[in-house]
Amino acid sequence: MTEPTIKDFESALAELDAIVKALEEGDLSLEKSLELYERGVQLSRFCHAKLEGAERRIEVLNERGELRPAPTGLGTDNEPAGGK
Amino acid sequence: MSDLFSQPFEEDDVPERETAPRERRVVTVSELTASIRTLLEGSFGDIWVEGEISNCKTWNTGHMYFTLKDGDAQIKAVMYRSAVRYLKFKAEDGLHVIARGRLAVYEPKGEYQLLCDHLQPHGLGARQLAFEQLKKKLQAEGLFDTKRKRPLPALPARIGIVTSLDGAAVRDIIKVITRRHPNVHLVIRPTRVQGDGAAAEIADAIRSIGRVRGVDVVILGRGGGSAEDLVPFNLEPVARAIASSPVPIVTGVGHEVDFTIADFVADVRAPTPSAAAEIVLAAKDEFHTRIDRQSRRLRASIGACLERRRTRVHFLSSRRGLAGFPARLALRGRHAAELAHHLQHAMNAAVSRHERRFRTLSSRLETHDLRRRLAGIRGQLAAAAGRLAASMRRRHDRAQAQLGARAARLETLSPLAVLGRGYAVCWNEDRTAIIRRAEEVAPGDRVQVDLLEGGLLCDVRDTHASDDPKNS
Repeated sequence: MTEPTIKDFESALAELDAIVKALEEGDLSLEKSLELYERGVQLSRFCHAKLEGAERRIEVLNERGELRPAPTGLGTDNEPAGGK
Repeated sequence: MSDLFSQPFEEDDVPERETAPRERRVVTVSELTASIRTLLEGSFGDIWVEGEISNCKTWNTGHMYFTLKDGDAQIKAVMYRSAVRYLKFKAEDGLHVIARGRLAVYEPKGEYQLLCDHLQPHGLGARQLAFEQLKKKLQAEGLFDTKRKRPLPALPARIGIVTSLDGAAVRDIIKVITRRHPNVHLVIRPTRVQGDGAAAEIADAIRSIGRVRGVDVVILGRGGGSAEDLVPFNLEPVARAIASSPVPIVTGVGHEVDFTIADFVADVRAPTPSAAAEIVLAAKDEFHTRIDRQSRRLRASIGACLERRRTRVHFLSSRRGLAGFPARLALRGRHAAELAHHLQHAMNAAVSRHERRFRTLSSRLETHDLRRRLAGIRGQLAAAAGRLAASMRRRHDRAQAQLGARAARLETLSPLAVLGRGYAVCWNEDRTAIIRRAEEVAPGDRVQVDLLEGGLLCDVRDTHASDDPKNS
């Protein structure tokens, strides 16, 4: 069975919601139900992965439109205020 | 002042004509006007006038002309472009103001007017008025309309932050975001957030961060401060930049009680920078919880779906119609055997169809991580299938036993068995009917008689009724 690809986190979440709704309303054939279930499992795995997958990064956009790493300490909780 | 009229001719310093009649001093209009001018401008060189603005027009030279009036009088007024530029609010008709300036006489027209260098609204502060005016203007343009507000991305790819690097706001925002979701990509566009020129800088920052690839939401933040500190966020350039931003903007400016123009234009207004961060990034935990909840519902509904089918199988296996079928079949002697065969075949087919279905089901279930939860259901299904098969077999055996008994009984009822006991069957000549009564034939008819072995062709010689003594 060929699965449509997953666009992004948001549409995956929306599709998951729709699948749960469709399954809960019932009236589907066994085959269709299982197909939706399989897709639902795939979507929820995708979402979990997406949540964990991103990389933490803090950058500063300067006036010339260039992205540079943020000054050290900006993102750390222990940095005293006004330390820079 | 008295010497004004003693000098009728051109200029003050022109020597007086000795011939001028003293009782009639004629002056030219110019002279008079010049004198009035000197008088008025000298006396009203720096005055404050309170009144209502009307007929206010700004010419394309940038100068502003208007009339100041109260209930009983009015005075023309002008404000030059150089002064208009510093007005914090827009002068408009009906506004009650205090104007500062001096009187000026415009000689070509013989008019005097107030040359105004400063205006301040009466009652409201100038800043407050400017705020109200800009708010009204942008509102009229539809910039605050709810339908312009864009939804925020559920999980932003990159979060843009426009704020000062020095303030507490940027640290607050980073702290909240880091707490809620440790792995997120932030892009900060530093800008001054207060003082002259800050509005233009903020507007520029909003525009440039909106162009950064991947940034799909922007936080515009500033920590709390005095009303003066928040002024840039109440200026038009910032409002325009927010309105034309390609990505949604969340404002978190000042404290909870502060509402700025930027807040009204923004897609979402948060009371503080920290709150803005919270709005932009739903906690990761909340997402996990939501996805888990959906997964549970998914499993529950697929479970229910299988349970419905299990119930149906159970129902089928105990149906009355199925149970009575072999017995009814047995009554139809001729086709009984054939139908019994069909029945058996059909039952086997049904059972194996169900078994196949369960096997398919089971194998598909194996491919999912349902094992724990569905193991029970699968067991029940398998057991149900087994029970179904067993009970089908039992019924079939019973049906066959019944068939055997009925066949034996049929045997005893067969005409051949009766003939074996010495009875004969008498048919009419063409074997279309069995003769049961003497009156059905007449002397001279022919009849056929079936014996246990062979038959007879007979001529009827005589008939007699059943009560005839000749018949025993």
